Amino acid sequence: MRRTAAARLLTGTALAVVLAGPAHAGTGGSLKVYPATVTPGSQVTVDTTACGAGGTAAGDASAVGAGAFVLAPGTREEVAAGRFRVPPGAQPGTYEIVARCDGGAQADGRRVSGDLVVTLTSTRPPAAHPRGSVKTGVGGALGPDPVQTAAGVAALAVAAAGGTWLLHRRARGDRI
Amino acid sequence: MRRLTNLAIAVATLAALLSGAWLVRGGGDTNAPPQPSAAQAARTPVQQSARPESAPALPASPPLRIRIPAIRVNAPLMGLGLTPTGSLDVPPAERENLAGWYEAGTAPGETGTAIVAGHVDNADGPSVFYRLGALRKGGAIDVERRDGTVARFTVDAVEVYKSANFPDEKVYGAASRPELRVITCGGGYTPGRGYEGNVVVFAHLTGSNP
Repeated sequence: MRRTAAARLLTGTALAVVLAGPAHAGTGGSLKVYPATVTPGSQVTVDTTACGAGGTAAGDASAVGAGAFVLAPGTREEVAAGRFRVPPGAQPGTYEIVARCDGGAQADGRRVSGDLVVTLTSTRPPAAHPRGSVKTGVGGALGPDPVQTAAGVAALAVAAAGGTWLLHRRARGDRI
Repeated sequence: MRRLTNLAIAVATLAALLSGAWLVRGGGDTNAPPQPSAAQAARTPVQQSARPESAPALPASPPLRIRIPAIRVNAPLMGLGLTPTGSLDVPPAERENLAGWYEAGTAPGETGTAIVAGHVDNADGPSVFYRLGALRKGGAIDVERRDGTVARFTVDAVEVYKSANFPDEKVYGAASRPELRVITCGGGYTPGRGYEGNVVVFAHLTGSNP
């Protein structure tokens, strides 16, 4: 009886550790924010894989004054994505955007976050566009076709056999 | 009768010898990737080809995959930067079914010129954009994006440019509507010098789903 109680206690402790484990590991995970730097009034897309396949999440952008939004799976089931618009009156600074998974057994309640930087000047300094041509080939497709080479080798083998046979005949004194 | 048999064998042997030698030397087929015809070039300046109507721009979201049904392309996209000389970097050559997009620039679907590049071949044979030069005006290009939308682009032109004379502004320059460029190696191939230039597909956004 005492053994059972001890076992129960142990099981209880193990369960508590298992339950606490993922929740602990899940806090502060990655929420991708794109673009990561924006001007007030811009639309921002966030996504995460923390909620598992088909998982949805409740997004919170109230830090920047944009309120709540929903993250739902898109073309890829394991990625939950959502959007919000940064209010036109938002002040420059770095804001934490948060999403909490709902649904999906182990992912339930998991919290992920990412940083959004609001600046008053142009969001992305116009990136220098690439220059010149692109090195995207070495000519490997132009080599001999292996099937064709094999056919050629087979044909040469036939020729060799035929030639040998003819020479053999000749050696025996048969006229060609 | 025997003479006839011998003659037939001699003829067959000669035919096998010649065709075998021809086949082993590579035959008439060079396996060169398809190149666009002059009919696929832009008739007017590319920016002005407005048909079909362009769709409203999508919010920024990074692309995940590119699909070009007409040439059976369905490949993931990785982010690309620039090389020290300022040219667009390329995906690792050994991954034959992988393309890339210029991450620091426009995301496909946003207003501006989004750039996608991939290999035509690698040392082992054809790669993701081997058949890009066979794409035709009006063809569809779909880009799956991380926010779950699929941006649909329609091909305006397929051009081929020599490296020495590459029109940077036309290919990479800013656009006032959502546009896409898909680039791979092309032009003639010379052993030792490689491909002469690039095949460039010009497309603009014509729809999205959902």
